[in-house]
Amino acid sequence: MKRMISVIATGLALGLSFGAQAGTLEDAVKRGSVSCGVSTGLAGFSQKDENGKWSGLDVDVCRAVAAAVLGDADKVQYKPLTAKERFTALQSGEIDVLSRNTTWTHTRDTSLGLNFAGVNYYDGQGFMVSKDLGVKSALELDGAAVCIQAGTTTELNLADYFRANGITYKAITFDTSDQTRAGFESGRCDVLTSDQSQLYALRIGLKDPSAAVVLPEVISKEPLGPVVRQGDDAWFNIVRWSLMAMVEAEFLGIDSSSVDSAKADGNPSQKRLMGTEGDAGEKLGISAEWAYNIVKQVGNYSESFERNVGQGSPLKIARGLNAQWNNGGIMYSSPVR
Amino acid sequence: MRTFKPLPSQPAPKETVGAVNWIRENFFSSVGNSLATLAILMLLAIILPPAIDWLFLSANWQGVTQADCTKDGACWSFVKAWSKQFFYGSYPSDELWRINLCLLALVAVIIASNVLHKDWRNKIAIPLFLALPFISIVILDGRPIGLSFVSTDYWGGFSLNVLLAAAAIIIAFPLSFLWALGRRSDMPMIRSVCVILIEFFRGVPVLALFFMGSVMLPLFFPEGTNVDKLLRVWIVLTLFMSGYMAEVFRGGFQAVPKGQYEAADSLGLSFWQKTLLIILPQVIKISMPNILATFVMLFKNTTFLLIIGIFEMLSTTQTALTNSNWLGGHATEGYLFVALVFWICCFSMSMISSSIERKLDTSHKK
Repeated sequence: MKRMISVIATGLALGLSFGAQAGTLEDAVKRGSVSCGVSTGLAGFSQKDENGKWSGLDVDVCRAVAAAVLGDADKVQYKPLTAKERFTALQSGEIDVLSRNTTWTHTRDTSLGLNFAGVNYYDGQGFMVSKDLGVKSALELDGAAVCIQAGTTTELNLADYFRANGITYKAITFDTSDQTRAGFESGRCDVLTSDQSQLYALRIGLKDPSAAVVLPEVISKEPLGPVVRQGDDAWFNIVRWSLMAMVEAEFLGIDSSSVDSAKADGNPSQKRLMGTEGDAGEKLGISAEWAYNIVKQVGNYSESFERNVGQGSPLKIARGLNAQWNNGGIMYSSPVR
Repeated sequence: MRTFKPLPSQPAPKETVGAVNWIRENFFSSVGNSLATLAILMLLAIILPPAIDWLFLSANWQGVTQADCTKDGACWSFVKAWSKQFFYGSYPSDELWRINLCLLALVAVIIASNVLHKDWRNKIAIPLFLALPFISIVILDGRPIGLSFVSTDYWGGFSLNVLLAAAAIIIAFPLSFLWALGRRSDMPMIRSVCVILIEFFRGVPVLALFFMGSVMLPLFFPEGTNVDKLLRVWIVLTLFMSGYMAEVFRGGFQAVPKGQYEAADSLGLSFWQKTLLIILPQVIKISMPNILATFVMLFKNTTFLLIIGIFEMLSTTQTALTNSNWLGGHATEGYLFVALVFWICCFSMSMISSSIERKLDTSHKK
């Protein structure tokens, strides 16, 4: 009996440790795809089209990782997740990387057994007002009726901001973003507040988008980025540098059309990124052409941004904070050296 | 010889026949009734013209992009463009025949169980029914029979609602019967296990069960073992349904007269013979209306899957609404369409269920 128990215990321990030891990179290579958690639908960030094809700024992170690891950006298994499921799916190993407009906060980083691999979009809460109001700044909004989606941090940020500035307001809460927009449109409130990336999407949905303006104030910090499980540093590095490669490629002036010439006869830093010089890929444990594949198949950060949320998309979000550091923004990549 | 000749029947009194009288009798029989009729007519006059105008007259029927929606009315182009997603999800276009095959098989088995001779029915239709969920999974997944593999991530749309509900109901049927039987058992162990199971799955909201299945359950598995999300949901749905049906069956058991049990015992039938041959047929007959009502409920409950990110029809609609090429606020069109599809299905299910009830009604009540 005792022996049997010890056999079972050893078996269990072995089974568990086998499960835990296999690295995410090896798993992904064996599976032939990167399993990526995305949103069930968020305009410009992760959205499905009529043919079931995924696209978006968050989706491009998944594609970049797949391009780096497997050499093919299409080898992604998308796992649509709701906000409540996302961390469990990552913790339980159902997905390799979570790229689902997730705000990088202290609590999430420290208490969930997760690591944020970087920031692919600096978001923040903003205001949309109807043009007729003639308001130029959020500070002129004293006494305004504000439409908010209930139960979000948006509500708390709003209270903090208005109290700090001594402005009174009347909150009108709605359950879904559709209802919030309808409330704004029907004139029940003068102002609609939400994350800026959402505001632009909500604005397009209005009957007359040009009748509303997004105010310049951003009252909260919402850095959104991809997340991986803690304890697999090799995989963490790959995800972090896949994202950085896109930003660095933009900084170095490499885009998907000029990628071949940059690889063959670019300047030294371009060649290092493209893998013709140095051993950046080898150090990550993946192909030397990792960054080449990313830029070739997904594009640099600027291309991805403009295609999904910027001028090339219906959303027309300005680069703002998400411009390169030498261009008025804070997108900054460490050098590949 | 005198024959009996009945007098020809008299026409009904004039004031009770004809359209005018019918209207008077049914709509204006009293002051209160007249007022109610007038109020409803007024309401319809206010609501109907703009509704018809929006729904049909100035609606956009052509085209498959948002730019085609130029008129003021409903943008049905939205529904048209997304119809494949609505019905089949992201299942590969070349493989749609597999979904159609499964749906056809489901319909075929239902028809077979209605038209087959009763000697054959039990031998063929019941095993087919029970095998159907597993056959469908094999066909849709594709790996075991050498077709191309389609991961459950691509399953979706209305066909998923139908197939998932059917698969849950089919497995729940025998399971709930066993639970109901166990609840009436004299053996305390079996009885308490069944009571706990039934009361747990009946007492916890289905949303909470879905969350448990999708968020909590994976944390208990060792890392690296993944039970497919759809499979977990199927199990949860089946257990939930079993809890409800077990209580329906219990009601049926209690409604069977005691004399039937005693008669079976006095014939020397064993427990299972008694249960399967004497009691079960009567239980099913008695509980049929309730079972079918529970089916309709479960079918509608499959839309709750949207909260755990499975692309059944309702969540496909929500996803479609967030596509940046369709941000024109087509929520009304989308949800109306979903409601219409579900209404058609549920209404036909209740038509079918009342025909089954008539067929099963062998009582001699007059």
